Amino acid sequence: MTATLRQGAGRAEDATRRSRSGRPRPPAAQRRAAAGMTAPFLALFAVFFVAPLIYSLVLSLKAGGTGAFAGLLNYRSVISNAQYWGGVQRMAYFGVIQVSVMIGLALVLALYLDSSYIVGRKFFALVYFLPYAVPGVIAAIMWAFLLEPDLDSALNVPHLLGLASGPVNPLGFRFALYAIMLIVTWEFAGYNMTILLTSLTNVPRQIIEAARIDGCSELGIAWRIKFPLIRRTVMFTVILSIIGTLQLFNEPVVLNDIASIGGNYTPNQIIYNTAFSFGNEPLAAAQSVLLAAITIGATVAFYSIIRRRADPFAAARRLR
Amino acid sequence: MSTLVARRVRVSVGTALLLLAAAYVLAPLYWLLIASTKNTSQLFSTSTFLPPSHLSLGANASSLFSFGGGEFRYWIINSAVYATVTATLATAVSTLCGYSLAKYRFRMRRPVFGLVVGSLMVPTTALVVPLFMLESYLHLNNSYQGVILPLAVYPFGAYFMSIYALDAVPDTLMDAARIDGAGELKIFWKVARPVLMPGMATLFLLAFIGTWNNYFLPLVLLGDPTKFPLTVGLATWASELHTAGVSQPLYPEVILGSLISVLPLLILFPFLQKYVARGLTFGAIAGE
Repeated sequence: MTATLRQGAGRAEDATRRSRSGRPRPPAAQRRAAAGMTAPFLALFAVFFVAPLIYSLVLSLKAGGTGAFAGLLNYRSVISNAQYWGGVQRMAYFGVIQVSVMIGLALVLALYLDSSYIVGRKFFALVYFLPYAVPGVIAAIMWAFLLEPDLDSALNVPHLLGLASGPVNPLGFRFALYAIMLIVTWEFAGYNMTILLTSLTNVPRQIIEAARIDGCSELGIAWRIKFPLIRRTVMFTVILSIIGTLQLFNEPVVLNDIASIGGNYTPNQIIYNTAFSFGNEPLAAAQSVLLAAITIGATVAFYSIIRRRADPFAAARRLR
Repeated sequence: MSTLVARRVRVSVGTALLLLAAAYVLAPLYWLLIASTKNTSQLFSTSTFLPPSHLSLGANASSLFSFGGGEFRYWIINSAVYATVTATLATAVSTLCGYSLAKYRFRMRRPVFGLVVGSLMVPTTALVVPLFMLESYLHLNNSYQGVILPLAVYPFGAYFMSIYALDAVPDTLMDAARIDGAGELKIFWKVARPVLMPGMATLFLLAFIGTWNNYFLPLVLLGDPTKFPLTVGLATWASELHTAGVSQPLYPEVILGSLISVLPLLILFPFLQKYVARGLTFGAIAGE
């Protein structure tokens, strides 16, 4: 693949002079075009991505209030902050359960839709993907109303059957985490299923036909042939989900607004409150930097475990 | 015969599972549709999933559009403006960048590509708080540009386009155009752009939906309710449902407003699904 790329890009350069490194150098017109075409992206990227990143690093070293240089004071205070770690821990617990359930569900649905059993494949694929078009805030509002005992008569059924002492309240503090899992799974299971299903349609049909002729069952085909072939994509969805989990914000904010589950439920909520309720922006910056580091750390750790067997970013190698 | 029975059992178990999952997805959307026809007392008294005997949709709509000086009307227009302008800008900028990464060899090519891929790993919400401070300094917060410009930085778009353009634009065609005397800009416009169009459509949709659905960034950067997008506006109303002293809780307005904010995309989705799905899977399967 790399060879194709080199060959392709090099073709126009054959007649051009060579640079000091010995590589053929493209004509000035092409270098100018490349510079001009990357410039708008790089300019926006520098101002709205790199600058905030550097600014948050600098800010995190200042003292809240006075703005004097404070060294690692903010980091020390985050590291000893039980509430912050409580949020991180909650997200770790959330991630292990919710990501496994969601990716498992997405995988089973995708394999089912790809098997020969299914009628209405297109219909189901569309329905499962629909929540992608619904903003997380709106999803949270819908579910909060559906899980609110005053509004949802179905939650009174266990009480009427004598199974509970009152209406079930899934939004009590104890259950809130599971309510968020239900909402996030609703939002993203179909999204992940879509990724997996597209990947499945790329599995060569001859392999599957050959297995079928050899007498392999549909279940065997799904588990022993299709799954190993899309393992890379499964890992890709897991990595996306890990990053998403640690950044959770919209759903707990809305649930707290409607059902008071607590305003410091996730790290991002804590960061938001530190910056805007308490006005301690340097501390919030340190919390942001640490959260980014934890997210990147978790992603890299997971990636280095799986990359040998299933590298989801193999595509990028073509351009390196 | 027995295998036929076994197959039939498996088909019905499978279909039951698929229907159950479909019900999980559709139930809240169906509820939203039904609930939008109820007024506050009907919401608390009638059966959750059944329409009321007397529809209150008209009254809900007139209250929704007039409450708070008609701020809901601003939110619809704002969401449309934010999403359209951001998606257009993000598509243009990342297409140019991705195309030149794929098709030109220049000294900064590897570092720029490394930057693009590396930034995919940075959780964007970590940038929101410093972005607010930076924008206050530049007097950009509380403005349309302040929301649009940061969202138009779309490293995934540049990554997507670089791999898309690699195969979509044949080098031989570019060389032929060069021999015919075309300049590089003309080559991009006449040769590359037509074949990159499907990829650009995908990017536009992903950026459009991403901006339409965004909440955290506009929440932090905006203070003026007439500049809010739908997500921030509706969440603000929802947060006031239990506030003491509010004369009338806005349940029907929040519900109908939510319905209106998801309906356009849901109706268009069957037609867009193909393009969107391609974008999501691209990073993962292009190398398989």
